[in-house]
This record gives sequence, structure tokens and C-alpha cells, in this order.
Amino acid sequence: MKILKYIFKRILQTIPLLIIVSIISFFIIRLSPVDPLAELRLNPSVSQETLQKEAERLGLDKPVIVQYGLWAKSFLKGDLGITSNGEKVSVKLKERIPNTLLLTVVVIFLTWIVGIPLGILAALKWKSPFDRILTVLTSIGMAIPSFFFAVLLLIFAVRTGWFPVGGLTSPNFADMGLISQIKDIAHHLFLPVTVLFTISLAGLQRQMRANMLDVLDSDYVKFARAKGLSEFKVIYKHALRNAVNPLITLLGFEFAGLLSGAALTEYVFQYPGLGRLILEAVLKSDINLVMASLMMGAAMLIAGNLLADILLIITDPRVKT
Amino acid sequence: MYVILAIIIILGLLKACIRQDKPLEDTYKPLSETRKEIIYPEDHKNITINGIDYIQSQAPIGKFGGTLTSSTIGEGPKTFNPFNSKDNISSTLSEIMYDGLLTTHPVTGQPIPKLAKSFTISDNGKEYTIKLRHGIKWSDGKPITADDVVFTWKDIILAGLGNTSTRDSIIIDGKLPEVYKIDDYTVKFITPEPFAPFIRMLSSPIAPKHIFGPAAKKGAKYFDTFLSTNTKPEDFVVSGAFKIKEYVPAQRVVYERNPNYYFINKNNEKLPYLDRLVYLIVGDLNNEVLKFEAKELDIINLQGSKVARYKAMEPHSDFVIYNLGPNTGTMYLAMNLNNRKNNEGKYYVNPVKQSWFNDINFRKAADYAVDRTNIVLNIANGIGEPLFTAESLNSIFLNKDLKPYERDLNKSKELLKESGFYWDKQGRLFDKNKNRVEFDLLTNAGNTEREAIGVMIKQDLEDLGMKVNFKPIEFNSLVNKLVNTLDWDMVIMGFTGSPLEPNGGKNVMMSDGTLHVYNMRLEKDKNSPRYDFEKRIDELFINGALATKFEDRKKYYDEYQKIIYEEKPFIYIYSPTIIVAIRDKFKNIFPTSLGGVIYNIEEIYVCEGPENSEIKSDNPSGER
Repeated sequence: MKILKYIFKRILQTIPLLIIVSIISFFIIRLSPVDPLAELRLNPSVSQETLQKEAERLGLDKPVIVQYGLWAKSFLKGDLGITSNGEKVSVKLKERIPNTLLLTVVVIFLTWIVGIPLGILAALKWKSPFDRILTVLTSIGMAIPSFFFAVLLLIFAVRTGWFPVGGLTSPNFADMGLISQIKDIAHHLFLPVTVLFTISLAGLQRQMRANMLDVLDSDYVKFARAKGLSEFKVIYKHALRNAVNPLITLLGFEFAGLLSGAALTEYVFQYPGLGRLILEAVLKSDINLVMASLMMGAAMLIAGNLLADILLIITDPRVKT
Repeated sequence: MYVILAIIIILGLLKACIRQDKPLEDTYKPLSETRKEIIYPEDHKNITINGIDYIQSQAPIGKFGGTLTSSTIGEGPKTFNPFNSKDNISSTLSEIMYDGLLTTHPVTGQPIPKLAKSFTISDNGKEYTIKLRHGIKWSDGKPITADDVVFTWKDIILAGLGNTSTRDSIIIDGKLPEVYKIDDYTVKFITPEPFAPFIRMLSSPIAPKHIFGPAAKKGAKYFDTFLSTNTKPEDFVVSGAFKIKEYVPAQRVVYERNPNYYFINKNNEKLPYLDRLVYLIVGDLNNEVLKFEAKELDIINLQGSKVARYKAMEPHSDFVIYNLGPNTGTMYLAMNLNNRKNNEGKYYVNPVKQSWFNDINFRKAADYAVDRTNIVLNIANGIGEPLFTAESLNSIFLNKDLKPYERDLNKSKELLKESGFYWDKQGRLFDKNKNRVEFDLLTNAGNTEREAIGVMIKQDLEDLGMKVNFKPIEFNSLVNKLVNTLDWDMVIMGFTGSPLEPNGGKNVMMSDGTLHVYNMRLEKDKNSPRYDFEKRIDELFINGALATKFEDRKKYYDEYQKIIYEEKPFIYIYSPTIIVAIRDKFKNIFPTSLGGVIYNIEEIYVCEGPENSEIKSDNPSGER
């Protein structure tokens, strides 16, 4: 019950936050000198009437405050509005969200499945050759910029022909059987996943290793060992539970990055996710689309933090609501 | 696993290096040598079989089957409704499916029948009689008749549904053309005045009435969302060679052949040859190049900087490079000839500068100082042509009498001296009132090509002792200066024109046009005095649109080009050349400057060597 009340309170707190985020982003976009009609204005075959009609359709003829009011009103009703091309924003987002989720969920799943055990192992074999090799490799992983690494892998794909150059499915995807479809997607996902995996794995492994080392050095672990508990019990029952706590906060951030974290890699690999959509929207000052994605990003971040806090309450009795 | 991965990557890169390490010799061939001798087939013929009026292709007979994969850059189509599209990509992708009454002859540029069997224009130039083909069908089997044509024109185009640019361009003195059904296979269009550009509008797509009719009745708002990108492919009823099969957002559009298409080959077999046409949606130019090199794409437009490398690769590769000649872009340098005052009573242009820009000798001097050859060599990597005319170099209205010339600094200096300009000891230029010649040169920041041109022109003009402050500014601010505040001196910009219809440029050339850049008139100045040459160009454009015979029109448009060439309100710089690479397994490729490479998509077929066999898409199991 207490926890429900806590959640409710937190959700209430997010409302003013979202309002401020929306106001700031709306005004920044509208006050930036990007004119959504500039291209049309310089097109010799576009008439003055068409320009005016376009300005009216996009609401550009009204003051910014009024534009914001109109946007906020329809947003509250759950209507995300239309893009500057007249398509529904919600439909556009719906097309892309599953693709982005597929990529990020696979990456997060892999990183945690691999990163946590590697971190524990490295901590247990502290200063052994295994630990040192891992240290070197993770440092490399952390040092490579994701953009550069993605481009490198793309060139690799072109030169060897082993992997498709970007995208998510092959042109004849629709005619394939289910198994070949899954294979096809896996084939396309391999390179972008490799990039994101390498980079986030390094961070997670280092974090886990450091936490574990901290805990292993603490008094209660020494006490447990002195008590004669088996090494297995010491590590997995006592040390691990405490070492994992800080990672839960990290998980909250991972959740926030589910939709936006892979934008750069998506762009390089021409992955049909949200990244490309939003980038083009920003360049064209497609206000409804940009606002929808910004609000989504803000909501995800808040939800991620909330999720992490709740998980912390569950795993760590010391944290009080 | 990282070690293995790293080794694989390094090996892959090494392999790439070894392959790339061939010396790039003989890359600087003159461009003309890259032009292939193409023997065009005879024109299409009309042939009637069992009461159906087919078009017969005269190209060599090919094999059926196969896929051609092309690409579009950007975020993909916004709609598949050809009447709604506002961007090039949507237009291209939707017009594949809908044929127009007429089309453009790919070599001569003259209008020729397509969905129409024949057309005639009355002697007074106002009546267009279109005979339709008997027995041809939409993809769902319903016949294509005069009702579809009348519906398309009356209820969609003239009613102002969707994108109104076609309608806007045929309003003559506030009146619209009218369309009448004579019988099931005859339609008549009547324009209020003789209006030559109208014939080009007859290439607009024709919509199936039984599909578009209900949508058009529901009003403009509904029509805007009709046949959007979310429409199921089964719901499309088309007349073109291909029909959409699948649209995957941000990835690709797949078309399959329309079995009811009305083209046949010389064996009287129904075309198109290809089973599928695929457009991949790629985000940027670099990715497009990678996809071409990974053989995921069959055809690519090459940028200037890439041409030399591809040319070197061509002899031992599986693609052929075609030079399509200069494109329709016209890059220019313009001076602000505005001599009026703004609302606050101040001159838009400083009167001292006005006296220079309005001096024809000054403009000519600047023109002779611009080193176009050098610009083409350095900025377009030699893949372009110096430009001197207002019409683009591939325009059928190009005035070929206007000869190109080389840079001539001495001539520039003579012209300046004639107008009383002089140089001091340091070689700085002053006008006859002892004012230092100094002005701003603008272009839009971010366009690397224009920025580079700006730097070169700045140097060229500074060779004359002028002081040029070159300022690339943000695109929107530049547009605002050009069309609203009008406070600029000199600008480098570009327009894309139509190679078929100079009248499309009337907004730029006519003195009250909305883009009359060099002497822009705002609403309040609409009646301000014109320069003599502006008046003459206005007359020429009005007469050019009213005349109906090509030869008569050509005379008017020749004269307007001559005036621009002599008066230099626009100093044209160069046109980039279009270079296209396409896999050599595709046959019946007859590229033209006007049509491009795959305009005859129905005639193109695949002649596969053994090494290409895995790309076959008619494999029923669909396994790769």
C-alpha cells in the first residue's frame, strides 16, 4: 500500500516536469530560425497562395503561444497531431517503435547476460591474467566511439559481403518462410547489435567488477568467510545481492534509453528505427513529430527512474520510501 | 571473442586495402570520352490486336523475369497518391503506378501519346482532342475510358484536391481550362486562351474513377489522407507498368509487374519484362554508395568526386557508366538591381552600390572575371559544364547561338575603365566618385558546393581589385533576405528548371514574379518602373505561353535567353553533369539526358550471366 502511494506521489511530481520540458522544447524549436517552408519559398513553381495555405495548415500564421496552446490541448486529448506531410504522428511512431525496441532489447539482454557474469568473474579472479585481459578489452570497448566503430563494421560488411549493408530485412523478405525470416532479421541485426553490445558491455562489466570488489572487501564478507560458510554461499548469497544494487539504478537509465539510446548507430546502419525519423523531423522542424518524440523521451526517462527506485525498494530494505 | 572479432575486422580491412591498392591511373580522361554511343530503337508503334490498342516497343526482344533495385535518398515516400505528393520522392514512387495521357519523348522532348492513342490540337491553339486506346484495362480488369479522364481532371485536378500545383500552373487570367467527354474514348480539353504549356500538363496521371471517385466525394480533407503510405497494397488499382506490392517504412518499396499493362514487345508479348522493381530507401549518399558496392543496388547516380574512381573500376567490374549530360540545375551569381526604398524610406541597397550594380559594364566585368572552367575543374571534379544561359543545357529551348567564352580579365578592366572606375597604387578598385568597391557576397551555409564556389568567385573578383566579403549564411535567413527584406548585394544561388517548359521559370524571370531575385518587387512595389530589358522579358514570356507552335515559342524564349546573356542580371556559373552507373546485366538501356536511365522500365530486361543467378527473385520458395 505504501509503495502504491509512493508511486502515485512520484507520478504527480512528473506532471510539472513534463509541462516545463514541453514548453522549453516547443519554444526552442519554434524560435530557431528553421523555416519549414523555406524550401517551398525558393521553388519557382510554387505560387503565393499555396505558400499561404501551407502556412495556415501548419499553423505558422499564429503566434507561438497560440501554437503551443493548440498543441498542448490536442496532446492532452491523446492526439499527437499530424506531421508536416499530413501523416498521423502516432502512426509514424508506431511503425518505428517496434524496430527500435527489437534492437535495444536484444542489446540490453545480451549485455546483462554477458556483462554481469564477466564482472563477477573478473572480481573473483582479481589481478589474474583473465582479469587483466578483460580489463584491456573493456578499455578498448569503452574507448571506441560508437559512430566510428559502426562505420568500420559497415565497411567490413561491404568488403567481405558477409553481412547486409544496413536495413532490417531483405527485399524478398515477404516471400520467405518463418524460419528464414527470423534468420534474415538476425543476419541484419548482427552488426548494429555488435556495435551497441561492445560499447555498453564494457561499461557494465567494469561497473559490476568494481561493485563486487568493494563488497568482497567489506567486513561482512570477511565475517561470513570466517564463519566457515562455503565460498559459493558467501559470494552468491551475501556479496552478490549487495553488489547488484547500484546496477539497478543503471537499469533504470537503460530503460530510458530503450527508444533513443541507439539513434546514432541506427543512423549509420540505416536501421528503420526512431533515430532516422526524428533526425529528419528535427531538420525539417516538423514540430508535432519532434514534440512527440521529446515528450516520449522525457516520459521514458522518468518512468525508468521510477522503475529503478521501486526495484531498489524491493531489493534493498534499507531504502525507505 | 573480441580478439577474434578484432582479427576478423583487421583481416577484412586488409583484404579491402589489398583490393583497393590498384593505382588509379588514367582517371583524368576528358568527359566526352565517357559518353557511350547509344543506338536508340525506333519509336513505339500503335498496334491493334483483337480490338485492343497496344503500344508496341521496338526495342530488342528480351527475357522475362528478374528484379531491378534502385534507391531514393531520404525518409521515403509520404504518400502513394500521385495527386497529393509534394516532394520528388513521393511523385516518382506514385507516378510509376499511374500513366498519363501523354508523355515526353525521351530524345526529342516532344509530347507523345501514352494512355492516349493520339491527340490533336486545333488551329486556334485552344482545343485539345484526345483519342483513348480501346480495350486497355486497369490492373483490376476494369476498362480505362473517357470517364476516368474527365473525372481525374474535373473532380481532382481542377477541383483543387490534393497538391494544387498543376491547377495553379494552368490558371489563365483567372480562368481554368474545361474538359468534355465526347464519347467513351474521346475527350476534349478547351483552354480559355491559347496556352502552350498546357500540353505538358496532359502528362499528369489519370486516376481510376471507381477507386478515387468515392474518396473525392468525401472532400479535400479526406482526399489528403487517401492512398497514404499506410494503405494496403491490394487496394491500389493502377494503369502503370508496375503496381505496389509492399512498402516497408524506412526500408523499401517493392513493385510487381502489372499483368494488364498495355505495352507489348515485337513478339506481341505483354511487357514489362521485369517481375519486380525495388526502391530501397537510404538515408544518405554515403550509404547509397556502400549499398551499390555491396551489390544491393543495381543503379546509382554518381557524384563528381566519385566518378574518377568508378571510371577506373569500370573495366573489371559488373557495371557500366553512362554520362547523361548536364542536369537541369542552374547555379548563378546575381546582383541586387533593386533601386527602390523600403517602408522606412531607406534604400534597400546602398545608392553607391546601386550605381555599380545598375551599370551594365560593371556586371559584364564581373562576368568576364568569373573563371567557370576553373570552378568546374575544382568544385565538380571536372564533372560539369560551364553555363552561360538562363535555360539549362539540356533544355529543348536552349539558345545554342549564345556562345561560351573564357575568363578575360583585360576585357573586365577595360569595361570598368569605360565606366570611370580606377585603381590606386595597391591595385584597389574605386568608382568615379572615389568610393572603394566593396560588397557582400552571400550564399547558404552548409551547402559545401556553393561555399566553395563563393570562395573561388571572391578570388576571381578580387583579381579586379574589388573587396568581396564572402558570407555564407543560414538558408532560412538567406531566403528571408532574398524575398522579404531585400538587403543584400550579391548572392550565389541555384534553381532547378524544367528542360521542357521555360514557362515554369516565369516566377523568376517576369518582373512581378515571386522569385524575381535580382529585382524583387514586394506587394507595395508591384507598379514600380521596370528596366527596359525587364519589360521585354515580360512580353516574351507572355507571348511564349500564348504561342502554340514549338518553332514560334522557341523564337521568344531564344530572345529572352539572349537578353539575360547580354544584360547579365544573372551570371550563370555551371551545371553539374549527371553520371549514372548501372549493372551490365540489364539490357535495353537507352539513357537520354531528358529521360534518365530507366525511363523505359517496361523494356528493360535482365540477361543474367552464371554469376548473377542467385539474385533471381522468381524463386517460388523464396529461399536466398
